[in-house]
Amino acid sequence: MSDPFEILGLEPRFKLDLGALEARHRELSRALHPDRYAGGGAAERRQALSRAIEVNDALRVLKDPVRRAQALLARSGLSLEEGREPQAAPAFLMDVLELREELSVAGRAKDGAAVRRLGESIAARESQVLEALALGLAPLEGRDTAPTEPGALRGVSEKLGELRFFQRLLSEVRAIEDELL
Amino acid sequence: MAYSEKVIEHYENPRNVGVLDKEDPSVGTGLVGAPACGDVMRLQIRVNDAGVIEDAKFKTFGCGSAIASSSLATEWIKGKSIDEAATVKNSQIAEELNLPPVKIHCSVLAEDAIKSAIEDYKKKRAARLSLEKGPE
Repeated sequence: MSDPFEILGLEPRFKLDLGALEARHRELSRALHPDRYAGGGAAERRQALSRAIEVNDALRVLKDPVRRAQALLARSGLSLEEGREPQAAPAFLMDVLELREELSVAGRAKDGAAVRRLGESIAARESQVLEALALGLAPLEGRDTAPTEPGALRGVSEKLGELRFFQRLLSEVRAIEDELL
Repeated sequence: MAYSEKVIEHYENPRNVGVLDKEDPSVGTGLVGAPACGDVMRLQIRVNDAGVIEDAKFKTFGCGSAIASSSLATEWIKGKSIDEAATVKNSQIAEELNLPPVKIHCSVLAEDAIKSAIEDYKKKRAARLSLEKGPE
């Protein structure tokens, strides 16, 4: 996979300024817009189009924290294979199960306030995981990263797994909130 | 993506949804999750003295395929010995439910849940036996 940080000309970091990311994407998209190449040759137009597609893909990857973390890992020649993540800790799974149970109870009771409270507490836990990930991925940031020892990244894949569970819970919260509207 | 008829059938009428007392020494609890999709599955078995699974319950938060996989798993292992139950393979579940390749991981989760419930039961039993034997 090509490096989305490089495609967008951004410093490889986990904590990205999303506003700056969008601005950079807009800027590049404008420069690559087909109208600008209307007078150019077919090869030039094709090249601009494929660059525009790359830029769009890179934006999608970097907007999603899970894929952003994977992109940082991939830059350093490390990869977490899909479906081979370590099994989450039982206590964590128990928490997720309980949160989802509370969420479905609140949803069935049409208790919008309770759903919102749950959403807030899940979002707070998600931010904690994001902080932990930023810390864990720090050795991979910057343009010239030295090869890291495998031990330095221990915990990153576990946190990535936890992040996915929280993302999933939050999309459940949004779905229930939409239903209650 | 369309679900197979069997998945829809289990999804609409899940068998054995519920909870067993996890403190009960004859109950084994398996708790597994799929980080890739955020699904969580709890599968519990009640085992009699002959080592036969008398009851099985599950609770799954996940897609239709995950719910159907765990529902089918509880149906299959009821009445089986724990050794027989341990041989249930995800490929059999996937085949029975006609799961498409992108949903195979749901059946893997169900197989892991069975194994983890059996392991939990065996661990509890070993602890009980060593307790009954008393200190040497």
